Amino acid sequence: MTADQYDCTAAVLDRTPDAAVVSNLGVASYVLAAVRHRPRNVYLWGSMGVTTPVGLGLALATDDQVTVLDGDGSTLMGLGALSTVGGVDPPNLVVVVFDNGGYETTGGQRSHAATTDIAAAATACGLASWRTETDDGFADAYDAAVDHDGAALVVCSVAPVDPDERPPFDFAGVAGRARDAIAGR
Amino acid sequence: MESDWAAAAVGGLERAGVDHVVHLPDSSIAPVLEAATGLESTLVSREEEAVGVLVGAWLGGRRGALVCQSSGLATAFNALGSLAVPARVPFVGLVSRRGDLGEFNVAQVPAGYGMPEMLDAVGVRNHVVDRPADVGRRTRMAAESAFSTRTPYVVLLDATVTGYKSEASREDDR
Repeated sequence: MTADQYDCTAAVLDRTPDAAVVSNLGVASYVLAAVRHRPRNVYLWGSMGVTTPVGLGLALATDDQVTVLDGDGSTLMGLGALSTVGGVDPPNLVVVVFDNGGYETTGGQRSHAATTDIAAAATACGLASWRTETDDGFADAYDAAVDHDGAALVVCSVAPVDPDERPPFDFAGVAGRARDAIAGR
Repeated sequence: MESDWAAAAVGGLERAGVDHVVHLPDSSIAPVLEAATGLESTLVSREEEAVGVLVGAWLGGRRGALVCQSSGLATAFNALGSLAVPARVPFVGLVSRRGDLGEFNVAQVPAGYGMPEMLDAVGVRNHVVDRPADVGRRTRMAAESAFSTRTPYVVLLDATVTGYKSEASREDDR
Protein backbone atom coordinates (compact mmCIF):
# COMPACT_ATOMS: atom_id res chain seq x y z
CA MET A 1 0.00 0.00 0.00
CA THR A 2 1.26 3.45 -0.85
CA ALA A 3 0.09 7.03 -0.41
CA ASP A 4 -0.18 9.63 -3.17
CA GLN A 5 2.65 12.18 -3.14
CA TYR A 6 0.42 14.90 -4.64
CA ASP A 7 -2.27 14.39 -2.01
CA CYS A 8 0.26 14.32 0.82
CA THR A 9 2.03 17.46 -0.46
CA ALA A 10 -1.36 19.19 -0.67
CA ALA A 11 -2.06 18.07 2.91
CA VAL A 12 1.15 19.77 4.09
CA LEU A 13 0.11 23.05 2.47
CA ASP A 14 -3.50 22.78 3.68
CA ARG A 15 -2.57 21.98 7.28
CA THR A 16 0.34 24.42 7.60
CA PRO A 17 -0.48 27.11 5.01
CA ASP A 18 2.10 29.57 6.34
CA ALA A 19 4.96 27.06 6.57
CA ALA A 20 8.23 27.60 4.79
CA VAL A 21 8.63 24.45 2.71
CA VAL A 22 12.06 23.25 1.58
CA SER A 23 11.82 20.64 -1.18
CA ASN A 24 14.44 18.18 -2.37
CA LEU A 25 15.63 18.43 -5.95
CA GLY A 26 13.62 16.51 -8.51
CA VAL A 27 10.29 14.84 -7.80
CA ALA A 28 9.61 16.51 -4.42
CA SER A 29 10.10 19.97 -5.95
CA TYR A 30 8.20 19.14 -9.13
CA VAL A 31 5.18 17.89 -7.16
CA LEU A 32 5.29 20.90 -4.83
CA ALA A 33 5.34 23.27 -7.81
CA ALA A 34 2.41 21.42 -9.35
CA VAL A 35 0.33 21.41 -6.16
CA ARG A 36 0.86 25.05 -5.17
CA HIS A 37 3.53 27.45 -6.35
CA ARG A 38 4.15 30.05 -3.59
CA PRO A 39 7.00 32.32 -2.47
CA ARG A 40 7.59 30.32 0.71
CA ASN A 41 8.53 27.25 -1.34
CA VAL A 42 12.29 26.77 -1.32
CA TYR A 43 12.79 24.51 -4.33
CA LEU A 44 16.29 23.07 -4.50
CA TRP A 45 17.89 22.36 -7.85
CA GLY A 46 20.96 20.56 -6.48
CA SER A 47 22.78 19.51 -3.32
CA MET A 48 21.07 16.15 -2.91
CA GLY A 49 21.54 15.01 0.69
CA VAL A 50 21.56 18.57 2.03
CA THR A 51 17.81 19.32 1.86
CA THR A 52 17.14 18.62 5.53
CA PRO A 53 20.12 20.77 6.68
CA VAL A 54 18.65 23.71 4.73
CA GLY A 55 15.42 23.20 6.65
CA LEU A 56 17.37 23.05 9.91
CA GLY A 57 19.09 26.37 9.27
CA LEU A 58 15.80 27.97 8.36
CA ALA A 59 14.07 26.56 11.44
CA LEU A 60 16.78 28.13 13.62
CA ALA A 61 16.32 31.50 11.93
CA THR A 62 12.53 31.79 12.12
CA ASP A 63 9.75 30.95 14.55
CA ASP A 64 7.53 29.90 11.65
CA GLN A 65 6.78 26.27 10.88
CA VAL A 66 9.46 24.81 8.57
CA THR A 67 8.68 21.62 6.67
CA VAL A 68 11.20 19.71 4.57
CA LEU A 69 9.98 17.51 1.72
CA ASP A 70 12.85 15.08 1.28
CA GLY A 71 13.21 11.76 -0.51
CA ASP A 72 14.52 8.38 0.56
CA GLY A 73 17.60 8.66 -1.66
CA SER A 74 18.50 12.13 -0.43
CA THR A 75 17.94 11.17 3.20
CA LEU A 76 20.18 8.11 2.85
CA MET A 77 22.86 10.26 1.21
CA GLY A 78 23.09 12.38 4.37
CA LEU A 79 21.92 10.20 7.26
CA GLY A 80 24.36 12.05 9.52
CA ALA A 81 22.12 15.09 9.18
CA LEU A 82 19.52 13.26 11.29
CA SER A 83 22.07 13.19 14.10
CA THR A 84 22.57 16.94 13.72
CA VAL A 85 18.80 17.62 13.66
CA GLY A 86 18.26 15.42 16.72
CA GLY A 87 21.03 17.16 18.59
CA VAL A 88 19.77 20.67 17.79
CA ASP A 89 16.12 19.60 18.15
CA PRO A 90 14.26 22.67 16.83
CA PRO A 91 10.55 22.56 17.78
CA ASN A 92 9.37 24.07 14.48
CA LEU A 93 10.99 21.57 12.07
CA VAL A 94 9.20 18.64 10.45
CA VAL A 95 11.02 16.46 7.93
CA VAL A 96 8.77 14.54 5.56
CA VAL A 97 10.52 11.71 3.73
CA PHE A 98 8.60 10.59 0.66
CA ASP A 99 9.84 7.04 0.21
CA ASN A 100 9.30 5.89 -3.36
CA GLY A 101 12.00 3.26 -3.01
CA GLY A 102 14.44 4.72 -5.48
CA TYR A 103 16.04 7.51 -7.42
CA GLU A 104 13.01 8.50 -9.50
CA THR A 105 14.43 11.80 -10.78
CA THR A 106 17.34 9.99 -12.40
CA GLY A 107 15.33 7.13 -13.83
CA GLY A 108 13.97 5.02 -11.01
CA GLN A 109 17.04 3.08 -9.92
CA ARG A 110 16.37 1.50 -6.53
CA SER A 111 17.79 2.82 -3.25
CA HIS A 112 18.54 0.94 -0.04
CA ALA A 113 15.34 2.28 1.54
CA ALA A 114 13.78 -1.19 1.47
CA THR A 115 16.31 -2.46 4.00
CA THR A 116 16.92 0.73 6.02
CA ASP A 117 14.27 1.83 8.49
CA ILE A 118 14.60 5.60 8.14
CA ALA A 119 12.01 6.30 10.84
CA ALA A 120 13.89 4.09 13.29
CA ALA A 121 17.16 5.81 12.38
CA ALA A 122 15.52 9.17 13.08
CA THR A 123 14.22 7.93 16.43
CA ALA A 124 17.68 6.68 17.29
CA CYS A 125 19.00 10.18 16.54
CA GLY A 126 16.53 11.81 18.91
CA LEU A 127 13.71 12.86 16.57
CA ALA A 128 10.10 11.89 17.08
CA SER A 129 9.12 9.82 14.08
CA TRP A 130 6.11 8.34 12.33
CA ARG A 131 5.76 5.88 9.47
CA THR A 132 2.75 5.74 7.19
CA GLU A 133 1.63 4.42 3.82
CA THR A 134 -1.80 5.99 3.31
CA ASP A 135 -3.07 9.51 2.62
CA ASP A 136 -5.18 9.56 5.79
CA GLY A 137 -2.34 8.13 7.84
CA PHE A 138 -0.04 10.81 6.50
CA ALA A 139 -2.41 13.64 7.44
CA ASP A 140 -2.65 12.35 11.00
CA ALA A 141 1.09 11.77 11.30
CA TYR A 142 1.88 15.21 9.90
CA ASP A 143 -0.47 16.89 12.38
CA ALA A 144 1.19 15.03 15.24
CA ALA A 145 4.65 15.91 13.95
CA VAL A 146 3.77 19.61 13.71
CA ASP A 147 2.34 19.53 17.24
CA HIS A 148 5.40 17.76 18.64
CA ASP A 149 7.62 20.05 20.72
CA GLY A 150 10.88 19.04 19.07
CA ALA A 151 12.25 17.89 15.74
CA ALA A 152 10.02 15.36 14.01
CA LEU A 153 10.13 13.15 10.94
CA VAL A 154 7.41 11.39 8.96
CA VAL A 155 8.30 8.64 6.50
CA CYS A 156 5.55 8.17 3.95
CA SER A 157 5.61 5.34 1.39
CA VAL A 158 4.45 6.73 -1.94
CA ALA A 159 4.03 5.37 -5.44
CA PRO A 160 6.59 6.72 -7.94
CA VAL A 161 5.35 9.66 -10.01
CA ASP A 162 6.79 11.50 -13.02
CA PRO A 163 5.49 15.08 -12.91
CA ASP A 164 5.52 17.42 -15.91
CA GLU A 165 5.49 20.56 -13.75
CA ARG A 166 8.74 22.37 -12.94
CA PRO A 167 9.56 25.14 -10.45
CA PRO A 168 11.29 28.28 -11.81
CA PHE A 169 14.72 27.53 -13.27
CA ASP A 170 16.03 30.79 -11.79
CA PHE A 171 17.52 29.29 -8.61
CA ALA A 172 18.78 32.62 -7.24
CA GLY A 173 15.33 34.10 -7.85
CA VAL A 174 13.71 31.26 -5.90
CA ALA A 175 16.06 31.90 -2.97
CA GLY A 176 15.59 35.68 -3.04
CA ARG A 177 11.78 35.46 -3.19
CA ALA A 178 11.72 32.93 -0.35
CA ARG A 179 13.89 35.17 1.81
CA ASP A 180 11.67 38.17 1.09
CA ALA A 181 8.58 36.16 2.05
CA ILE A 182 10.04 34.54 5.16
CA ALA A 183 12.32 37.23 6.57
CA GLY A 184 10.66 40.26 5.03
CA ARG A 185 13.80 41.59 3.42
CA MET B 1 48.36 35.50 23.75
CA GLU B 2 48.07 32.63 21.31
CA SER B 3 44.41 33.12 20.50
CA ASP B 4 44.43 36.87 19.92
CA TRP B 5 43.88 36.05 16.25
CA ALA B 6 40.72 34.12 17.18
CA ALA B 7 39.26 37.05 19.13
CA ALA B 8 40.12 39.29 16.19
CA ALA B 9 38.37 36.89 13.80
CA VAL B 10 35.21 36.90 15.90
CA GLY B 11 35.37 40.69 16.12
CA GLY B 12 35.56 40.83 12.33
CA LEU B 13 32.54 38.54 12.01
CA GLU B 14 30.53 40.58 14.50
CA ARG B 15 31.33 43.89 12.82
CA ALA B 16 30.05 42.44 9.55
CA GLY B 17 26.77 41.44 11.20
CA VAL B 18 27.38 37.70 11.42
CA ASP B 19 25.14 36.22 14.11
CA HIS B 20 25.38 32.44 13.58
CA VAL B 21 28.41 30.15 13.46
CA VAL B 22 27.96 26.68 11.95
CA HIS B 23 30.90 24.48 12.65
CA LEU B 24 32.76 21.22 12.82
CA PRO B 25 36.03 22.29 14.39
CA ASP B 26 39.56 20.97 14.74
CA SER B 27 42.01 22.01 17.42
CA SER B 28 43.45 24.76 15.18
CA ILE B 29 40.16 26.56 14.60
CA ALA B 30 38.53 25.76 17.97
CA PRO B 31 39.74 29.04 19.55
CA VAL B 32 37.33 30.86 17.22
CA LEU B 33 34.41 28.99 18.75
CA GLU B 34 35.69 29.65 22.26
CA ALA B 35 35.77 33.37 21.41
CA ALA B 36 32.38 33.37 19.68
CA THR B 37 30.30 33.15 22.83
CA GLY B 38 27.97 35.94 21.70
CA LEU B 39 26.94 34.17 18.48
CA GLU B 40 24.48 31.35 17.93
CA SER B 41 26.46 28.16 17.43
CA THR B 42 25.44 24.99 15.60
CA LEU B 43 27.56 21.85 15.43
CA VAL B 44 27.07 19.68 12.33
CA SER B 45 28.09 16.08 11.67
CA ARG B 46 29.59 16.73 8.23
CA GLU B 47 30.68 20.03 6.71
CA GLU B 48 28.42 19.63 3.67
CA GLU B 49 25.49 19.96 6.07
CA ALA B 50 26.92 23.26 7.29
CA VAL B 51 26.52 24.81 3.86
CA GLY B 52 22.87 23.76 3.91
CA VAL B 53 22.33 25.14 7.42
CA LEU B 54 23.94 28.44 6.39
CA VAL B 55 21.71 28.65 3.31
CA GLY B 56 18.63 28.04 5.45
CA ALA B 57 19.78 30.63 7.98
CA TRP B 58 20.20 33.23 5.23
CA LEU B 59 16.73 32.44 3.86
CA GLY B 60 15.48 33.23 7.35
CA GLY B 61 17.25 36.60 7.41
CA ARG B 62 20.44 35.65 9.23
CA ARG B 63 24.13 36.03 8.40
CA GLY B 64 26.25 32.97 9.03
CA ALA B 65 29.84 31.78 9.15
CA LEU B 66 31.25 28.33 8.43
CA VAL B 67 34.06 27.32 10.79
CA CYS B 68 35.93 24.11 9.95
CA GLN B 69 39.18 22.58 8.66
CA SER B 70 40.19 22.42 4.97
CA SER B 71 39.72 18.64 4.89
CA GLY B 72 36.14 19.20 6.03
CA LEU B 73 35.52 21.91 3.49
CA ALA B 74 36.56 19.36 0.87
CA THR B 75 33.49 17.28 1.81
CA ALA B 76 31.23 20.27 1.11
CA PHE B 77 31.94 20.85 -2.57
CA ASN B 78 28.67 19.52 -3.96
CA ALA B 79 26.77 21.87 -1.65
CA LEU B 80 28.98 24.79 -2.70
CA GLY B 81 28.72 24.08 -6.41
CA SER B 82 25.05 23.09 -6.60
CA LEU B 83 23.52 25.19 -3.80
CA ALA B 84 25.32 28.23 -2.35
CA VAL B 85 26.92 29.40 -5.62
CA PRO B 86 24.03 28.94 -8.07
CA ALA B 87 21.36 30.06 -5.56
CA ARG B 88 23.46 33.15 -4.78
CA VAL B 89 23.44 32.57 -1.02
CA PRO B 90 26.21 34.29 0.93
CA PHE B 91 28.17 33.13 3.94
CA VAL B 92 31.71 33.63 5.14
CA GLY B 93 34.04 30.71 5.80
CA LEU B 94 36.78 30.70 8.43
CA VAL B 95 38.76 27.61 7.60
CA SER B 96 42.01 26.29 9.07
CA ARG B 97 44.16 25.34 6.09
CA ARG B 98 46.23 22.20 6.42
CA GLY B 99 48.74 20.96 3.91
CA ASP B 100 51.22 23.83 3.57
CA LEU B 101 54.15 24.94 5.76
CA GLY B 102 54.91 22.48 8.53
CA GLU B 103 52.38 19.86 7.42
CA PHE B 104 53.44 16.38 8.56
CA ASN B 105 50.46 14.39 7.26
CA VAL B 106 50.48 13.69 3.53
CA ALA B 107 46.74 12.95 3.67
CA GLN B 108 46.14 16.63 4.43
CA VAL B 109 48.18 17.89 1.49
CA PRO B 110 46.07 17.47 -1.67
CA ALA B 111 42.89 19.19 -0.47
CA GLY B 112 44.60 21.52 2.01
CA TYR B 113 47.36 22.87 -0.20
CA GLY B 114 45.05 22.77 -3.21
CA MET B 115 42.01 24.35 -1.54
CA PRO B 116 42.41 27.83 -3.10
CA GLU B 117 42.40 26.35 -6.60
CA MET B 118 39.52 24.02 -5.74
CA LEU B 119 37.44 26.95 -4.48
CA ASP B 120 38.38 29.02 -7.54
CA ALA B 121 37.19 26.16 -9.76
CA VAL B 122 33.66 26.24 -8.32
CA GLY B 123 33.51 30.03 -8.21
CA VAL B 124 33.97 30.63 -4.48
CA ARG B 125 36.24 33.59 -3.78
CA ASN B 126 38.89 32.94 -1.17
CA HIS B 127 41.91 34.46 0.51
CA VAL B 128 44.77 32.87 2.44
CA VAL B 129 45.80 34.72 5.61
CA ASP B 130 49.27 33.82 6.88
CA ARG B 131 49.87 36.55 9.48
CA PRO B 132 47.90 36.67 12.77
CA ALA B 133 47.81 40.47 12.67
CA ASP B 134 45.80 40.37 9.41
CA VAL B 135 43.00 38.09 10.64
CA GLY B 136 40.52 40.56 12.11
CA ARG B 137 40.43 43.13 9.35
CA ARG B 138 40.49 40.59 6.52
CA THR B 139 37.76 38.47 8.09
CA ARG B 140 35.57 41.55 8.33
CA MET B 141 36.34 42.55 4.74
CA ALA B 142 35.62 39.02 3.49
CA ALA B 143 32.32 38.86 5.35
CA GLU B 144 31.21 42.31 4.23
CA SER B 145 32.01 41.44 0.63
CA ALA B 146 30.20 38.11 0.87
CA PHE B 147 26.95 39.65 2.08
CA SER B 148 27.02 42.74 -0.12
CA THR B 149 27.69 40.67 -3.25
CA ARG B 150 25.39 37.78 -2.24
CA THR B 151 28.16 35.23 -2.77
CA PRO B 152 30.13 32.97 -0.43
CA TYR B 153 33.67 33.95 0.56
CA VAL B 154 36.20 31.71 2.34
CA VAL B 155 39.10 32.92 4.49
CA LEU B 156 41.78 30.25 4.79
CA LEU B 157 43.97 30.49 7.87
CA ASP B 158 47.43 29.00 7.49
CA ALA B 159 49.32 27.19 10.25
CA THR B 160 51.42 30.36 10.65
CA VAL B 161 48.22 31.92 12.06
CA THR B 162 46.55 29.08 13.93
CA GLY B 163 49.72 27.77 15.53
CA TYR B 164 52.37 25.30 14.51
CA LYS B 165 53.45 22.35 16.58
CA SER B 166 56.12 20.18 15.00
CA GLU B 167 54.93 16.61 14.56
CA ALA B 168 57.66 15.81 12.06
CA SER B 169 60.41 16.46 14.59
CA ARG B 170 59.03 13.63 16.72
CA GLU B 171 59.95 11.30 13.93
CA ASP B 172 63.37 12.91 13.70
CA ASP B 173 63.84 12.17 17.38
CA ARG B 174 63.14 8.49 17.00
